[in-house]
Amino acid sequence: MTAAIAVGILVAGGVFLILRPGLARITVGFILLGHAVNILLIAADGAGRRGAPLTGEGDLARMADPLPQAFVLTAIVISFGITVYLLALVRASRRTGKPDSDPDDPGPSQ
Amino acid sequence: MSGAVLSLPVAVPLLAAAMLVAMPRRRRLHLVTGVAVTGGILLLGGAVLATAVGGTVLTLDIGGWPPGFAITLAADAFSALMLTVSALLVLASLAYAAVADEGGPLFTPLTLILSAGVYGAFLTADLFNLFVFVEVMLTPSYALLTMTGGGRGAAGRIYVTVSLLASMIFLAGVALVYSVTGTVNLGELAGAARHSTAAALACSVVLLALAAKAAVVPLHTWLPRTYPAAPAPVMVLFSGLLTKVGVYAIIRVYAVVFAGAPQYRWVIMTAALLTMVIGILGTIGEQTMREILAFDMVSQIGYILLGLALFSTAGLAAAIFYLVQYVLVQAALLVAAGTVETSHGGGTLGKPSGLAHRDPLLAVAFMIPASSLAGLPPLSGFIAKLSLIQAAVAKNSYLAAAIATAVSFLTLLAMIKIWRGVFAGREAAATARPGGRPHALRAARPALIAPGLALAVPAIVLGIWAQPLFTAATAAADGLTSTAAYVQAVGR
Amino acid sequence: MGVVLVVAALSSMGLLSLVAPLLERFLGRNAGYLLAAGFIAVAVLLGLQAPTVLAGQPETASWPWIPALGVSFSLRLDGLASLFCLLVLGVGALIMAYCPRYLPHGGRHGYIYFLLTLFGGAMLGLVLAADLVLLVVFWEITTVLSFLLISAAGSQGAAPAARALLVTGMGGLALLGAVVLLAVITGTTDLTSVLAARQQVLASPLAPAVAALIMIAAFTKSAQVPFNFWLPGAMVAITPVSAYLHAATLVKAGIYLLLRFSTLFAGQPGWSLTLIAVGLITAVLGAAQALREHDLKALLAYSTVSQLGLLVAAIGVGTTVALAAAILYTFAHALFKATLFMLVGIIDREAGSRDIRKLSGLMRVMPVTATLTGLAGLSLAGIPPLIGFVGKESLFQGFARASAFPGAGVVTGAFAVLASVLTFAYGIRIFYGAFAGPTLQRRLYEPSWVFLAPAAVAAVASLVLGPAVAILNPLMREAIVNVEPGSVPPHFKLWHGLTPELLMSAVTIACGLGLFVFRDRVDRGLSRLPHLGGQALFDRLYTSTFRLGAVVARSAHVSSPWTYLARPVAGLVLLGGVGAGTLGRLPATAGQRSQPLDWALLVLLAAAVAGLVRARSVLSAAALVGVTGLIVTTWFLLAGAPDVALTLLLAEVLTAMVVAFVLRGLPRSFPRPRRPGTFAAGVLAVLAGLAAAGGVLALTGRRGVSPTGEFFLREALPQAGGRNVVNTILVDFRALDTLGEVSVLGAAAMGIMLLLGGLDRADSERLVAPYRFVLGPAYRVLAPVTAAVSVYLFVRGHNEPGGGFSASLVAGIATGFGYLAGRPGTAPRWRGPGPLIAAGLLTCAGVGFAATMAGKPFLAHFSVPLPSGLSVSSTILFDLGVYLLVLGLMVTAVTRLASEDDQR
Repeated sequence: MTAAIAVGILVAGGVFLILRPGLARITVGFILLGHAVNILLIAADGAGRRGAPLTGEGDLARMADPLPQAFVLTAIVISFGITVYLLALVRASRRTGKPDSDPDDPGPSQ
Repeated sequence: MSGAVLSLPVAVPLLAAAMLVAMPRRRRLHLVTGVAVTGGILLLGGAVLATAVGGTVLTLDIGGWPPGFAITLAADAFSALMLTVSALLVLASLAYAAVADEGGPLFTPLTLILSAGVYGAFLTADLFNLFVFVEVMLTPSYALLTMTGGGRGAAGRIYVTVSLLASMIFLAGVALVYSVTGTVNLGELAGAARHSTAAALACSVVLLALAAKAAVVPLHTWLPRTYPAAPAPVMVLFSGLLTKVGVYAIIRVYAVVFAGAPQYRWVIMTAALLTMVIGILGTIGEQTMREILAFDMVSQIGYILLGLALFSTAGLAAAIFYLVQYVLVQAALLVAAGTVETSHGGGTLGKPSGLAHRDPLLAVAFMIPASSLAGLPPLSGFIAKLSLIQAAVAKNSYLAAAIATAVSFLTLLAMIKIWRGVFAGREAAATARPGGRPHALRAARPALIAPGLALAVPAIVLGIWAQPLFTAATAAADGLTSTAAYVQAVGR
Repeated sequence: MGVVLVVAALSSMGLLSLVAPLLERFLGRNAGYLLAAGFIAVAVLLGLQAPTVLAGQPETASWPWIPALGVSFSLRLDGLASLFCLLVLGVGALIMAYCPRYLPHGGRHGYIYFLLTLFGGAMLGLVLAADLVLLVVFWEITTVLSFLLISAAGSQGAAPAARALLVTGMGGLALLGAVVLLAVITGTTDLTSVLAARQQVLASPLAPAVAALIMIAAFTKSAQVPFNFWLPGAMVAITPVSAYLHAATLVKAGIYLLLRFSTLFAGQPGWSLTLIAVGLITAVLGAAQALREHDLKALLAYSTVSQLGLLVAAIGVGTTVALAAAILYTFAHALFKATLFMLVGIIDREAGSRDIRKLSGLMRVMPVTATLTGLAGLSLAGIPPLIGFVGKESLFQGFARASAFPGAGVVTGAFAVLASVLTFAYGIRIFYGAFAGPTLQRRLYEPSWVFLAPAAVAAVASLVLGPAVAILNPLMREAIVNVEPGSVPPHFKLWHGLTPELLMSAVTIACGLGLFVFRDRVDRGLSRLPHLGGQALFDRLYTSTFRLGAVVARSAHVSSPWTYLARPVAGLVLLGGVGAGTLGRLPATAGQRSQPLDWALLVLLAAAVAGLVRARSVLSAAALVGVTGLIVTTWFLLAGAPDVALTLLLAEVLTAMVVAFVLRGLPRSFPRPRRPGTFAAGVLAVLAGLAAAGGVLALTGRRGVSPTGEFFLREALPQAGGRNVVNTILVDFRALDTLGEVSVLGAAAMGIMLLLGGLDRADSERLVAPYRFVLGPAYRVLAPVTAAVSVYLFVRGHNEPGGGFSASLVAGIATGFGYLAGRPGTAPRWRGPGPLIAAGLLTCAGVGFAATMAGKPFLAHFSVPLPSGLSVSSTILFDLGVYLLVLGLMVTAVTRLASEDDQR
């Protein structure tokens, strides 16, 4: 339940931000969306268990599903890489004089 | 032919890319390595295809773990065919980049990593691994698109952000699939979406993401906006690979996970018809060569989806035949367009004009693939459209057949528009460059036209001698309509 | 034997076309004579089949072409095909012999000869094709060749060529549709089988569609109303092209098609009525338009349209007599029309004008030319004893006896007579211009006999074959039997006795003479009539299609990303709605319920997100992003994912660091958005959030333990040797994912390198770090500590939370810190991040590849024995590669994002 609400909040915030002008805002929006997907992945453990998946430290039956956690780790690293790239793009477009967002960009009202 | 070779298309390009990154200044070495690696994979793909056409599915369980738990690579006829065609395209793109003198020291390593992602995507039988390979394919594409100034503006921003969004939706879809079914292995997932609405919904999220990546209407607008901003060789690379992985994945997921569910085919049919029509309308509305060709990519994806929506052996075989010949034809057209831009000063219709007189070789290099695209016999495009329309009529989809025919006519219109704008007519007066010297009224270097002509040859060959490709496409289609062999090879 | 000859004939045409440019290279424009000889040779080849074919045994040849579609390469030489072959090759030879004197001396003509010869071959293929798809192929090839030949006229040929291509191309697609439908109805594409399956075809509900499509294809090709406008425009092409394609062969392809398919559809009301109506309307309107024209070539073009209309109508009547008439008149028309075109070309060359008003009294200056012109004009007008008369007589006969509907004979007869009257009118004008009237142009002289010879041959043939039409009988009869199997074909002869047809001819001649006598009044009357023009409509359709396209294309030319991003989100919302509507009963939630701490975190999260959404300054946004990251990290800790939490925390720190680097160049605050846009974005965002929440609620947490998860939990220690299950999945079980992921990092680093120029060694020395006085000393202490932490995390990763990622992220922090502290040099001393990336990628991929080399599956783990008796597991090496790559990315980010502002 809480996972669903958390995802909903993050998705709403993230979508709102990516629909605004400005690459910096869009990047923040994507960061939020990334968090949302990660929480979703962790919640994809079918049985809602919460034990850390470290063998030898507790009952196997109570350990969380390790596969989504591995997915999340991969996703975090990939999105980290792309975020760094996005930030470099922000910097590069400023350097070449191209505006971060078009000055007469009307936004979603169009 | 054992399954162990399936790791090579992924491992070798990565190793080669790593090596080349360590030696950035040796341009000659870059070209030789890129061509050698890709050529090797092309041959490998052909060999795998030869085995797969017979019906066997080659598999490789990564890490030696039991199938169904970890990742498995699998090559049936469909995968093998896509692998081979992609390798051919990468080869052509590398050659064109070399003669067009594009790309710095990082072009070849990035292309190699991109190609590793593409090959991996075609070979993997695991949904999350597919996501990873798609990222492996897309990240170099971001780098390649923003390589030059043109790509750093709005086009680059739009491309990266739309791609990222689609990737996130993809990942969310994979998460939902795992959440509903408990597995991401395609073999284990077989048929899940057909019988369970929850699984179908989860898979639809995946399909939505793939549709965005494949530029299916109405998620298509990014493609004509962003691709023309890339340097010409990069656009050639993109055109044949990125969206095709999306289409491949849609077909694969629908065939295996949905098991060709008849109750949802109308959705695909609607998407296909919309894509065909909107795509071609946009095509005839554009004003520069490369934008026209970019929008027309959207329209052609619709044809392939039409074959999927029919979901008969004939329909799928027609779609796959179309896909393969179209990759090569589109590449040839883009090379011609790129040459027009670099050698004759821009690709806006009317700006260079009368090129048929000035540069007859280039005109031929354009006309052959353009006629194939427009569906004129005896070229490959005609055979492809004929087989699709026949498959549609055989399944009583008369509306689809009629729309496909009408769109084909409009494609002819689009090609005529380019012809009249750029090639026909009187030669334009020599346009003066700032600085005084008029633009050379010579023909383009033959080296620049050669890759285009080489790519135009398959358009002719596949038209006149279509049967071998049809055999492969039918074998691939069989593997999709009855997925038993694939599922058995890949699952537990 | 016969088969071989048929194939040889077709291939010879192909070869001849390839040879044509070479001949032109050596012989210049005189290559035409050799080509004419070639055409005649091919005709002889086919003619050798004449005895068998005329005896009723067609020659067939067939090879499989695309078995997957059931298409084969089949050729068939029967009577009808022979007739058309004779036309194509005969007229072709004449045209080829005409070209050398028509084409200007000097100049490059290889292209024209090539196209003309190729066209002849394509027409031959069209009439010989015995497979429906092959028919379509040749049909379209003739379309393309026509386009090319018209385009060769230069810039004024561009628009007419495009129009011709589009109109006939549309017809080609219609034909394709008909062929596909027939293939589905009858199960085969073999022409003979399809034509024999009359009952089957007519019984199918698709039959009207097939018939309509075939008629459309024929109408486009044969320039019937409303598709007639392309033909007069095509007259910009040079005269040989007009004579060959647009009078004798290309436009006759439609007639051929209708004749062939008469076998199936003759007598069907829809077929007959449409053909009769369209044909007769075209005949009358075309003739009227021809009468108005002054340009001889345009006159002949409209005349062709009109005559083709008569043919179409005759085929529509469908009786044996009518079909026979159509076949004969096809032949006759080709003869006199080709002659006329050739002669008009000669006159044009000589006089520099094609105006019929200037054509007067030619007899005195060009007697031979005038005679030939006069003869051809008479044949056109239908005066005995020329073959034009015989043909027209039989047409009248066919119309008069029509039985398609009550009173058909009278109606069709009347229209036919009307058309013929008009035809007579302009035909006799041509004749008059040749012989009578004052000689307006004294400068003209008789052209060389070589120039005149081809036209002479055709004109004389028109004259001779009138009385001697019986020679053609065997061929004609066989052709008619092909079209209507089992019929009794009529005999053609010059004099049939006093018949209604004769009366009709007499009426025609009388009225025509009347029109001629009062020609001035006629001209005035006609000029008041509206112009026959489908062209305006076509052009308007053409431009509006383009305008529609432009509207669609505009949707893809917005500059800001939001429209492109909104679409997938809308798709998600749609899916959410679909899900809400269709998901039935869901399985029960399994597992633990939410804990109170979760709710506390949720509240914090909501606050952070709300703050982010409303943030105006970039700095506050960055801070809030960090806060959000911390909240999510805590969430993961609570959810039992310590490794993930650790990685996320470190990634957050690093992201913040990179943001700090980039921050310096950004404006202080975000751009101010517009009000309405905010509302729309807000609505979509809320909907998306609801859809996402609903999806998560409905689709997660409702199944038991997954077998895969269980497998990993069980087997991690025994099979992969690690306690940290997640880590074993990353570097052992699913190492391929990790390999892909590090490739992504490498590519991202390369992307950054391409985006931003680097600092090379010299510049980095000159860097003045912003915080070096504060952080410099701190760095000296912290650097080794961080390094140690990094190593520790790396080593313990296999059994406790940690591993390659976390370790390298820590090292990355050290690197960034080093830059801020003024020690860029303490970042790796070698030239750039390239070697790091290369090493990392090589290690990871190499480990996997080494396993393959060792005979194991890719990325299987193995042990590398060390000299000292210990062994290193390959997974540690793999993790090391990951470490190097992540570090490489961080180094790239640090060295490239280091702003040039920092350089003094």
